[in-house]
Order: sequence, then structure tokens, then C-alpha cells
Amino acid sequence: MKRVNFCFSTKLTFDDYVHDHSFALRIIPPQAESQNILSCSLNITPYASVRQTVDAFGNNVTAGYLKDDHRFLDFELKGSAEVDCTKYRTDYMPCYLYPSEYTIPDEALKEFYRDHQGDCNATARDRAAYFSELLSQIIVYQKGVTDTATTAAQAFALKMGVCQDFSHILIALLRMDGIACRYIAGLAFCDGETHSWVEYWTGEHWEGIDPANNCPVSDDYLVISQGRDFRDCAIDRGVMYGNYSRQLQLVRSVLS
Amino acid sequence: MGTISLEHSDRLYWLGRYTERVYTTLKALGRLYDKMLDSEHGYAEYLGFFGLTDTYADDHAFFHSFLFDAGNPNSAAYSLERAYDNGIVLREEISTASLSFLQMAKDTLIKAENSGNIRLSLLPLEDILYAFWGCLNEHIYDDEIRNIIYIGKTVERLDLYMRMKYPFSDVEKEFTRLLKNLSRVPRSTPFRYRTKALSVLVETLGTQEDYERGVKEALYNLSRLFEREEAIG
Amino acid sequence: MTQNQFTKAVGNAGEINDLLRRYGVKFGIYKNGVFNEQFFPFDPIPRVITARDFARIEKGLIQRVDALNAFLYDIYHDKNIVKDGIVPDDFIYISKGYLAQCEGITPKNRIYSHISGIDLVQAKDGEWFILEDNLRIPSGASYPLIARELTRIAAPQAFEENAVVDNRDYAQMLKETMEYANCGGIRAILTPGRYNAAYFEHSYLAEHTDSVLVQNDELFVEDNILYHRTYSGGKTRIGVLYRRIADEYLDPLTFLPESLIGIPNLMEAYRSGNVGIINAPGNGVADDKGIYYFVPKMIRYYLSEEPILKNAPTYLPFYEEDMKYVMDNLERLVIKDVAEAGGYGVVFGSELSKERLEEFRNTIIAEPRRFIAQEVIDFLDLPIIDNGETVMRKADLRAFVLSGKTTKVWASGLTRFSRNPDSFVVNSSQGGGFKDTWVLSR
Repeated sequence: MKRVNFCFSTKLTFDDYVHDHSFALRIIPPQAESQNILSCSLNITPYASVRQTVDAFGNNVTAGYLKDDHRFLDFELKGSAEVDCTKYRTDYMPCYLYPSEYTIPDEALKEFYRDHQGDCNATARDRAAYFSELLSQIIVYQKGVTDTATTAAQAFALKMGVCQDFSHILIALLRMDGIACRYIAGLAFCDGETHSWVEYWTGEHWEGIDPANNCPVSDDYLVISQGRDFRDCAIDRGVMYGNYSRQLQLVRSVLS
Repeated sequence: MGTISLEHSDRLYWLGRYTERVYTTLKALGRLYDKMLDSEHGYAEYLGFFGLTDTYADDHAFFHSFLFDAGNPNSAAYSLERAYDNGIVLREEISTASLSFLQMAKDTLIKAENSGNIRLSLLPLEDILYAFWGCLNEHIYDDEIRNIIYIGKTVERLDLYMRMKYPFSDVEKEFTRLLKNLSRVPRSTPFRYRTKALSVLVETLGTQEDYERGVKEALYNLSRLFEREEAIG
Repeated sequence: MTQNQFTKAVGNAGEINDLLRRYGVKFGIYKNGVFNEQFFPFDPIPRVITARDFARIEKGLIQRVDALNAFLYDIYHDKNIVKDGIVPDDFIYISKGYLAQCEGITPKNRIYSHISGIDLVQAKDGEWFILEDNLRIPSGASYPLIARELTRIAAPQAFEENAVVDNRDYAQMLKETMEYANCGGIRAILTPGRYNAAYFEHSYLAEHTDSVLVQNDELFVEDNILYHRTYSGGKTRIGVLYRRIADEYLDPLTFLPESLIGIPNLMEAYRSGNVGIINAPGNGVADDKGIYYFVPKMIRYYLSEEPILKNAPTYLPFYEEDMKYVMDNLERLVIKDVAEAGGYGVVFGSELSKERLEEFRNTIIAEPRRFIAQEVIDFLDLPIIDNGETVMRKADLRAFVLSGKTTKVWASGLTRFSRNPDSFVVNSSQGGGFKDTWVLSR
């Protein structure tokens, strides 16, 4: 068990005024067996009236609407939590066993899976570790070659990507292997942006593995949201009106 | 229901404008046709009203274009299509019954194109338009909705009367009618300033430079009156 | 009087079609990318359903829709029917209609399918079969509704002579159904716009249910409440939204981010119980062609009743035994691709060449979950008037079942027929017309 402080902020700026701006944030970490949220505050500037709900995947959703003209929108999240990776979450959903939008395997991924599936016979944990190890050997961590819309199949073809891509590929492989797994967006010590990793279902509970770093998760990982793939976990989604080109600036996240 | 979106308020306004344009166009062309029966009178003046040049082979081609050519933006057919386009998205406000008159008007116009006596076969079209207006009155119980249509209708009439150099007394009458319509708009709504329709109206009244001097002055006075009403209200 | 004996036209087809034209009874169709409005051709010979037949259909449909609603609640909550092995997991979670985002949402009164369009056909022996369930946005009720109004004007004697149940209560039924789902506010019908195939219906139903016809840009969600933005800068709360756009486009912040016709955060307002959505998002999981096979099992499972109406005999290549049957009988079965709709993806084994048949056989073996196979039902053809002559054509019946305080079957329906004498496919998007559907009161 470890006590951590977290801080995460997003600044959206626009090059022209926007209005009638609806947004949905998945930014408030869930209270769970493995993480006890001690304090948490979310500041939105300019002021927007918001409502909290919990979505189908158990994510805290902050929904808001800004009617008047504005040129920026800032979200700042601060808080502290006790993280204990020896305790596990148990919120299972059957959809985690089936391919999702970003994790549908193409022929190359299927073939890769067929070629390597037989090499290990063991528990879900062993299988996840095995596939993660395989990925670490053939996929290179490389920023800038993929984006948030890149699918598992596309990243696998490139043999390059960032944490999101590692997660998607691992999810595609585990699901072909008959192991339910889910995408996690969260904060970790290792980098200054949001991180992503994977949770697989052992049959009783969820356990985490970080394929980008090829290691099991530790008390240094704070879950913000989860879902079938990145699409269910986007930190912020928004729709607005105006003549603008949207600029998204992620300000460093800190876990300390 | 008591809830009208900006989109629908504009549609209502343009429904008023285009149906009126069909009606006034038919009337004006009818009168012109009548004049041309027993004089050397031509259609050049009519084209002049709209700043158009003569590209028509003969009288027949002129009338045909201004009645039936949906590609001519000053024709009855074009205006009727636009009226229908606006009406079709307003069914729940104006009723299926009212809409049916627009469909009938379209069908009647198409039928008239191939008839031996066009003026005679267009008479029912006038009746249908009267029935359309009557039907609107019967079916709309929300005064706000009716009023927006009527503002459009009156603005169109005013615009065409001025273009077509109707006698000042007629123009003045329509202006007064418009003022009445506008003053029916609930005070609490920023309608007068916000909708596209109203800015078009203000523009129309302010930028016509080809009026006779007398009309210009009268309109100036009337617009002053309008301003005063605004200030008092 | 039986169906077969009633071949008399009610009034003159020309007159009634003129009236339908006058009242703008149209549907939109895209041909080569160009939008056209077409008048929906009406055939004056009604389909007649006897009181006795209808009583049975009514009971059967109520039973079916109640079971489907129970199924939808179960799937998005405890999933007992899957846990108990009645429906295999695969048929739920691979279905495009299953929306994980809807897990745990409980619509008001637990009604998911408020308006169900159940397609039936009658076989030559008089037996009715269910062809498919439409629980998303079934369309078509407005056509027979307005046609009846007009045939009663054009041919009053037909209604004097026959005891036909008045079907003009549909709008009232729909209004009550909408009110029962209302979470506090006005009623609204959401249309994708006038260039949608069913725009006539959207606007006609709005007019007759005293609802506001809205498009997405007139709506917004604030504090998880859905509002209509008025021209004067104000807002009006919407309590129930009868949406005529597909699930995936409903809320760009929950479903397809690229949707331009959705309402951001509508799903949050819905999840919070602040607005009713008709029909509930996620219903596609229950009207999937693959799930159809399981509906009789659902009726037994949820209601402990025997199904009153039969499914067309259906085989799932997913099951080994069925696969064998399908392989042995492919040339006389009809195969449906579960992912397709609107009469597309339907293949008759009898129409395939030997090579195509072999190809198809391999496709089914490769993707057994994608297809269902059905026996070809010997339809009871209905008479239609074609160029002044009475000819027989295939026809189906879409019955409308409304679920509000109670489940009710509209005593009418949309009878569609195929223009093409060889076609088994009756769908307005593939040509064809419609008939009035008479339910006799005795």
C-alpha cells in the first residue's frame, strides 16, 4: 500500500471563440478495492455547471455545458489516494471478452497469435506476462507514429507505438486467447502524461499489467478510467460550435 | 406547444414571404397580361422592376418563364417551390391540411402550363392560395406562429409593392400592417433583434435606393414612427 | 369472409392515390446519390384480418413484445438468460445491436421497446408466422393511418358494409405511450431532417401527437436535462424524445464521435432518468436476425408460457446439427445475413447457380454466426390492381405493438406488397406499395 498525491490538468485553447460547448470528462479516479480516494477536487475554468454520473464501465463522468463564448477551457484535478495493488477489483463485464472497435484483430494479428499461442500453457497471469514479453521483443516504443485513432491492427503493422498501442495489441491477443481484459487509462510514475495499461480477468478478479514497460502494475499506478479500449476511456470528449481549430494541450500529470 | 426554434421561426417567416410572392407575382403578371391585350405595352417595365435585361424571344416566352420556370428566381414556380420547401418542415405547426394546399398549388401550376388558356387555368391557383391562408388561420392557435408568418407575408408584399412602384397609399397601408404585426411580438422576446428574418427586414427597408422620392420620405417618416413606438413601448 | 374472398377494391385507386398525393404521403429515396421524394403507391384492395385471427395475433404479439422487453432488461442487467444457457454469449456480445454503453441503464417503467414493428406473413394454409422483430425505429404506421382517413372519404360504402375496426386511434395510442415514458417536459420527435426517407412520417406523427418536431441543433443538454432552444433565446425542457435516428448517432460523446446529428450528453441525461428515449438505445440486441431464433425460448423463459405465434422454421449454422441440415438443404432454404437490414442480405438458395451455391456454402462454414437459414414459407399472395387488372403478389404485414401502461396491438398495420411478381422481398426501399389493413370487429 502506498499513499500518492495526484495532479492532472488539461488546457483546451481555441484560436477563435466557441460556444454551446458540451463536454464529458472521464477524469475523476474511481473509488475501488485497489485504490482508496482520500481527496479529489476538479476545477473547471471558465465556470461551467456540471453533473456527475457513472457510466456503464464504472467511470466517473463529469458532463457539462458552456453556452457563452469562450476561448479556452481548463480542467484541473488534484487529490490523494491510497493505492494497494495486492487488492483487486471484481467489476466484470462479459463484453471484455469480445473484440472492440480498436482491438479487432486483422489477419496479421491472427496469424501472429496462431504462431505463438501454443508456447505457454498456464494461468491468465502467465499468459498475459507471456504475450507482454513477446510484444516487448517486437514492438518498439516510439512517439509520434501513431495517434489516438490508431487501432491494434494498425500499430501491430507498424511494429511501433506508445502505451495506448501496446495496450490495444495486448488486448487483441488476450481476447483471442479467451481471456477477458480491459483497457485502463491512468496515471503512473513513469511518464508525465496519462498512461495506459491492461487489466486481465483471472476468473475471480482483475489484475494489471503494463505492456509498454513489460511489467506488472504496482502501487505506482492510479486508475482513472477503464473500458473495452481507448474509446471508452477518453479523458475528455467535447462538441462545440464556432470557427476554430481545436488545440489540445496536455499539461504534465504528476503522481507523487 | 409554445416552443419554436430559431430554425423554425426563420422557416415560418420565409413561408410567409414566398407564399405572398407567389400570390403577388400571379396578380401582377395577370394585370400585365391584361394591359398587353389592347396596347403596345410590353413587359420591359416589369423586367426593370427587378433590374433584369430582356432575354426573351417574345411575350409568350416571358410569361412562360415568369410563371412556370422554376429556374427563374422571380417566377411563380420558383417561389412556390421555396414556399413548399419551408412548409414541409413546418407540418406540426401549420398542419397537414394547410400543407396540402401547397401541394395542390404545385399540381395546379404544372397543369396550367399545358392548358390552352393559361390565365383561366390559373384562377384556381389564386383560390388555393386564399384557402391556404384561411387554413393557416384555422389551424394555428399559437398567435406567435401566425404572427411570424404574417410578418414575412407583409414584408414581402411591402418589398414587391415598392419594387413594382405601387401607389404610395398601398405601400403605406402595408407598412402600417407590418408595424401592427411587429408590435404583436411579445415584448419579452429579443425576436426583433435576433432573427435573421428581422435583420433582412431592416436591410430591405434601409437599402432600397430606387424608390420615388415621395415614397422614400414617407418610409423615412414611417420608420421614424416605428422608432418612436419602439422607444415608447 | 376470409382473406381469399375479399378481392374487391375499395374505391378507385386513382382517386385515393390523388388524395394521398395531395396530403403529401411520400417517402424519400436516394438514387445515384440524388434525393427524390416518391409517393408511396397505394393499392385499394384491403388486406382483411378476421376478428378471430386478429384476437390470436394480438395475444401472440403482446406475449412476444413483453418477452422481448423482459429480455432487454435482463441483458442490460443480470443476464440470467445467458447464465442459464438459454442464449449463448456469442449471440449477445458480438451482435452490433448490443451496446455495452447501455449496461445498467434502467429506462422508466423498464420499457425498452415502446414501439415495436413486428413483421408477419400468412402462409397459404392461413397460419401466421413471425418474420422479424423491429425494436429500434420501426417505421410505417403513418401510411395506413392517413390512408384510412382518405379511403373512408373516397369509399364510404365499403365501411358501411363491413365492420372494420377504426384504426385512427394510433396517434392517441402513441401519445399515451410517449406520456408514459415522459420524465417531465414536452414531447419531441427527433428527425435527422427532411431528406430522410421517413420524413413525412416524422412530421405527420409530430403533428398528430402534439409533439415538437426537432433536429439535433435545436437541442442541448445542460445539468443533465434535455432542452429545446427557442428562437427567443429561452429553453423548454423535453421529457420524452421519440428519436428517429439510429443509436450510434444519438450522442457523439458516448457513441460515434463523428456523428453530426446527435445530441452531446443525451445519454447522461437519459442515464440520470431526466428524459425518456423512445425506443431505448441498445434494443438492436433483441431484434438481431440471430436472436430471432431464441424469441420463442424467451417467451418460455420469462413468461412461462408457450409461444402463441410461430417463428418461420429457422436454423442456426452455429449449432452443429443445424449446420448439417443447412448444408444438406441449402438449395431450398432462404439465408439471411444477420448484419443486414431492409431486405438486403437475403439470399434464396433456389436462385443460386451451382458455383455460387458452393461458394456460399463455404462462406457459411467460415462464418456460421453471421447467417441464419429459414424454410421458404409458401406465402398467401394478396390481390393487387396492376394496370386495371387484378394480379397476385407477395405481401407481409408489419404489426405495431405499443408498450405503455399496458401492451397494445394497433388494430391495423402496414401491409406492403412487392411490385415484382417474382420477388419475395417486400420492402418500400425496394419498390412496392402498401395496402390498408382491415381488422374486422366480428
